[in-house]
Amino acid sequence: MPIRALYLHIPFCHAKCAYCDFDSSGLRGQALCEAASAYLPQLAERMDAFGARGALESIETVYVGGGTPSVLGAGLVRLVERVRRWCAPSEFTCEANPESFDEGLACALAQAGATRVSLGVQSMVDEELARIGRLHNRDGALSAISAAQAAGLTVSADCMCGLPGQTAASWERTLEGVLGAHPDHVSVYPLTLEEGTPLARQAERDPGAVPDEDFQATCMERARDVLSAAGFERYEVASYARAGRVCRHNIAYWTGVSYLGLGRSAAGMLTGEEFRALADLFPSVALEGADALADDARVRLVQRDDAATTFEGEVLSPRETLAEDLMLGMRMTAGVSEALIARARDLIGVGGVDAAVREALDRGLARWTEEPLPGADARGRRLVPTDEGWLLGNELYGLFWDLAVG
Amino acid sequence: MAGMSTQDIAHIRNFSIVAHIDHGKSTISDRILELTHTVEERDMASQLLDSMDIERERGITIKSNAVRVMYKADDGETYQFNLIDTPGHVDFTYEVSRSLAACEGAVLVVDATQGVEAQTVSNANLAMNANLDIVPAINKIDLPSAEPDRVRAEIEDELAIPAEDAVCVSGKTGEGIHDLLEAIVFLVSPPTGDADAPLKALILDSYFDEYRGVVATVRVFDGSIKKGDMLTMMQAGQSFLVDGVGVKRPAEVPVDAIGVGEVGFVVTGLKDPGAVHVGDTLTYRDRPCADALPGYREAKPMVYTGIFPIDNKDYENLRDALEKLRVNDPSLVWSPETSVALGFGFRVGFLGLLHMEVVKERLEREFDLDLIATSPSVDYHVYKTDGTMLDVRSPQDLPDVTRIDHIEEPYLAAKVIVPPDYTGAVMQLAIEHRAMMTDMIHLSDKSVEMRFDIPLAELILDFFDQLKSRTKGYASLDYEFSDYRPSELVKLDILLSGDEVDALSFIVHKDKAYPLARGLCDKLKEIIPRQQFEVPIQGAIGNKIIARSTVKAVRKDVLAKCYGGDISRKRKLLEKQKEGKKRMKAIGSVEVPQEAFMAILKVGE
Repeated sequence: MPIRALYLHIPFCHAKCAYCDFDSSGLRGQALCEAASAYLPQLAERMDAFGARGALESIETVYVGGGTPSVLGAGLVRLVERVRRWCAPSEFTCEANPESFDEGLACALAQAGATRVSLGVQSMVDEELARIGRLHNRDGALSAISAAQAAGLTVSADCMCGLPGQTAASWERTLEGVLGAHPDHVSVYPLTLEEGTPLARQAERDPGAVPDEDFQATCMERARDVLSAAGFERYEVASYARAGRVCRHNIAYWTGVSYLGLGRSAAGMLTGEEFRALADLFPSVALEGADALADDARVRLVQRDDAATTFEGEVLSPRETLAEDLMLGMRMTAGVSEALIARARDLIGVGGVDAAVREALDRGLARWTEEPLPGADARGRRLVPTDEGWLLGNELYGLFWDLAVG
Repeated sequence: MAGMSTQDIAHIRNFSIVAHIDHGKSTISDRILELTHTVEERDMASQLLDSMDIERERGITIKSNAVRVMYKADDGETYQFNLIDTPGHVDFTYEVSRSLAACEGAVLVVDATQGVEAQTVSNANLAMNANLDIVPAINKIDLPSAEPDRVRAEIEDELAIPAEDAVCVSGKTGEGIHDLLEAIVFLVSPPTGDADAPLKALILDSYFDEYRGVVATVRVFDGSIKKGDMLTMMQAGQSFLVDGVGVKRPAEVPVDAIGVGEVGFVVTGLKDPGAVHVGDTLTYRDRPCADALPGYREAKPMVYTGIFPIDNKDYENLRDALEKLRVNDPSLVWSPETSVALGFGFRVGFLGLLHMEVVKERLEREFDLDLIATSPSVDYHVYKTDGTMLDVRSPQDLPDVTRIDHIEEPYLAAKVIVPPDYTGAVMQLAIEHRAMMTDMIHLSDKSVEMRFDIPLAELILDFFDQLKSRTKGYASLDYEFSDYRPSELVKLDILLSGDEVDALSFIVHKDKAYPLARGLCDKLKEIIPRQQFEVPIQGAIGNKIIARSTVKAVRKDVLAKCYGGDISRKRKLLEKQKEGKKRMKAIGSVEVPQEAFMAILKVGE
């Protein structure tokens, strides 16, 4: 199976948000220019190395994420053009923040071959945006969405619930505001307090400063109701789309499709066969037994530096791979097919797999269905998450990941 | 050192060192061993006398220990010092009293910068009660903030101990240690005793050696002990042939005999670790002394808790581990116990809660077990309507109320010595713990002795900690078993999701049942994590619900954000959650953390 998805990481922002612990530095002006002109050539060179080996030929989806790729401006446009030299993806997403995204950039990106923009809207309430350190406001978000639409890009508005100061009423305003701008796709992420972030420290000092998980649950359920009433279909725990507008790159992550991650902190996943063919491009990664890697084994890799000289990697056994497929599948509306479960019963054992399925059913986290579902091509029964299963995802995913160890 | 002869009695000094925590007891002990060349400097491991890991970590002494030191004094004579280390916690109050009974003197260490502190007072009281000669030592005089003159005045004013002879020392630099050794020679009385009388020796401690059987640490009051003697333990009634005698310096060294006034160890050859009791009197089987030494008490367990492996497969391992621990801790007793909630385990008897904690920690650490300890209980006497009496050490064994005529619970006679300012606080504490004051004696301007009758069940929970905290550490506590008295006791049951959890039941006085039930329900609500379903917690006496609380259902637990397809990061989070669950016990459909079963000790925190 060839590599079908490509992720490129841009570790820069204009300012780091209070909740963020991902790899990105807040930079502006000259400092940003210098950092970008050191980073981007290395990223391009690395992409070329893979391209020259034919590894990018079958790429169908590309996602440039960060950080905030839009802070690169024309640099981002050139990067998109560079990707297009090696492949012709039918879906090409760039992440962007409203303060660094205007009609000029939108048109240039579309011209260069981008098809989709994922906009960090987060909230439509100015006070909430300010409290998490965002640089844009409601008006900025709205004009960014119009700019993207004017350029003919598919638009995803990414929102967060559980923000400091957020209430049921203000969440309603965010949902209404977003729907009023007519995006094609909406993501709803509950806030996670990551250790060491300013927001986590604030919550430690004042536990009342950040709404609790019960509030997040209420917001997630409200988003589901409002968005489905507006014609959006949920296809993943955090993702809603109008018909035909799902993010196929996103789905690739959950369905065992090989993807390449380039740039510092980018994560990739290859089959054993793919990894062996490209192993020299991952010079110092300590992978146990990499020589005897089975063709259908799964290799997960994360790049650790700008120059792509160090990587972290792990090899998943066939059993772990199957358990992971089950765990990831349960994030999707389409769930997992009976065929996948049958394979798991063969490989992992009937007792363990059936017990996990039974527990998921008994606890009301999953159900069997034969309805047609978005993203499910195969016919037949599928095990899918219930409403409870969406909210208690970690319980559901944990049940299946536990099958990885006997 | 083999063949070391016995000392003439005038040249023997038996003493212990007592101090407030961190005032330098251990460093002074180390310096004494060094200066007398008992241990060379290069061999010094700090705190030589505390040998168990847990003792070192917690900075507490659990077992008694005795080390012999030879000192050539300025008068040209050589003296034999026996330095006797004593346990430092109320759980081991009996062991402390036996250790002090083996001494004629005590070095009272006081920090030159901090002066007389709470434990200085309580330890000095213990030493004076045992009629010991006190050698005050003012430590840490190397520090710039040292105020030896102020501290000297404090010792005289607050402890009523003459302090003009107090020795100024530094455990750190060794300064003054020589003067301290001289002071011990002059201030501590030599032992008295008759070398030719029938043997009379006190057992201070014992431990088990795989090859030699039980080895007892003893203090000889009359007569002497040598290899080949046929001895009898007067309380236990058992006799044995002495396999060998020796002393610790601190490594074991064989000697020809332990003479009158001396301290040493006796190899008994006895294979049962429980055969030798601290406080028992050793004498010759064929020429016994007239009377045993006073103050003997059987080391009876005071408190019982259920100990269960989280994983039922570990039951056999737990039993083996208990067997192994008992070898060096004969006070440990147990019997099998079955719980509906926890499966198979043991009801284990302990000297007190600290003893329980130490044993549980050792079982978990040294034998790699994950254990649940349940609420502590005392030994209740339950008189049934059919006229028979039942020993009940676990709430689960309590018969149905209709078959109970009455219940009696163990009472202690407790003695608290405290500065007069705190008598009100102690009275208040006593009332809260169902204690009755029986006497109050003014010992001096600085100290009052208060005597109470108190139910053991009240004392084991938090009485000692509360006493220390409400008297800012100044109170000393001593107690002994008194008698059994009728009491209005009830069994408090806890229900999770409507099902009674036997391992959470507790026997309590009826007047305390309501507040305790409420406190326990609230505490369990804090301890039990939110689950997929709401978990009602109820406290009940019989069929009557007297308290309730609810653990709300968890509504949301999902990490939706995925950073650039980094799945490994997500999996690690799931694995971490699972690790947390492993330490919990599934009771029905409710995941209950280990500490829930000890929640009773945390009520009111």
